[in-house]
Amino acid sequence: MQPEFLSAGFVSALFAIVLIDLVLAGDNALIIGLVARNLPKNTQRKVIFWGTFGAIAVRGLMAVLVVYILDLPGFMLAGGIALVWIARKLLTPEESSTASHAVKAPATSFAAALRTIVIADAVMGVDNVLAIGGAATGSVLLIMLGLAISVPIIVWGSQLVIRLVDRFPSVVLLGGAVLAWTAYSIVVREPLLATWFAGHAATKLVAAILIFSIALAPWYAARLSPQSQPLVVLLPAVLVWLLGVEVAASAWKLQGEYGLEAVRWLGWLPLAAAWLWLRERIGLRNLHRPLPPRTSVE
Amino acid sequence: MLLIRRSPRANATVRTVSAGGELFVAAVVICMILASFGDAIDPAMFGEAGLEFAIFDLGGEFSVLAMRDWHLLQLLLAGAVLALGISVLRVGSAAIVKALRPAARRVLSKVPI
Repeated sequence: MQPEFLSAGFVSALFAIVLIDLVLAGDNALIIGLVARNLPKNTQRKVIFWGTFGAIAVRGLMAVLVVYILDLPGFMLAGGIALVWIARKLLTPEESSTASHAVKAPATSFAAALRTIVIADAVMGVDNVLAIGGAATGSVLLIMLGLAISVPIIVWGSQLVIRLVDRFPSVVLLGGAVLAWTAYSIVVREPLLATWFAGHAATKLVAAILIFSIALAPWYAARLSPQSQPLVVLLPAVLVWLLGVEVAASAWKLQGEYGLEAVRWLGWLPLAAAWLWLRERIGLRNLHRPLPPRTSVE
Repeated sequence: MLLIRRSPRANATVRTVSAGGELFVAAVVICMILASFGDAIDPAMFGEAGLEFAIFDLGGEFSVLAMRDWHLLQLLLAGAVLALGISVLRVGSAAIVKALRPAARRVLSKVPI
């Protein structure tokens, strides 16, 4: 259901889009600089203008495509899963933050430079467009507003964004949480699952906690002691188990049987114990492995 | 590459985030999970204004069942209020614990009784 213009739902979706635009903004200036650095000055100016124009055009095209794609059955679920991965990746610190993987070498011609910039922006903008599409709840107006906000960020706002997130790193955390919330919202709106969710309302809570536990794992993993680190895997695994048992019970039409309840609430315990034992064994084996002999470097 | 990767603080946000910012986002996440809890409950399960009212309706709008319809801004506001409440409780309880803790025997502030 699309929110009414300037209603609380509309303003909330717009806020989510602005936040997503901020935290998922790509570094186009760096890409353009890397691509065009070996070109003559005159061509560089043309590359900057047409590269920016091409990036905006590709972003607009992808935004329109996302609106139609998310309407197809199954794509909301896929989009939700992709958003969980995007949120997790957003919160995971990257070691080499200066290099860009999208650009391998500087371009030698105007056409090659333009092609590289457009492809790099398309690759970098997929997550942004998907997240905006999810937050816009099918409203083309919100998509257009999201695009209108992301374009100035692409063209002029990079330093502003960097200064904002450097001063308030919690904006990135909040962005991750909003992405996870958007992922939950579009997964439960999936037409293929709507009937099933209506019949199994309690699974919505399990799905929500599962999505948050996977998407925000880098955050709470950083706060856990080394002994508690297995929780990062165990918590989502137990929630997947609960969902799996519910799906199996509805597929085989099993309801309220003692055996089923025992499997649902206790069945994961042996698996978790086996995994913890195996993890410990592998850890011990790596600890006792003899170090490779030292080679002297002359 | 994302713009946030250009800032070392934002890149490692899970380690560099301030305690207040972290508390606020954690409170927002709790509100989001509560909203999904409200979404997961079938109101018909409890009958009309029966057990539902007794358990979940803590005063009209501010109930878990009502939270299912909350938008992001409402969740952010609720998260801010929750974080503020937790901070006040933390400061207040720390002050009470400090007042209850006896001073060392020979310290100057020790009141002779």
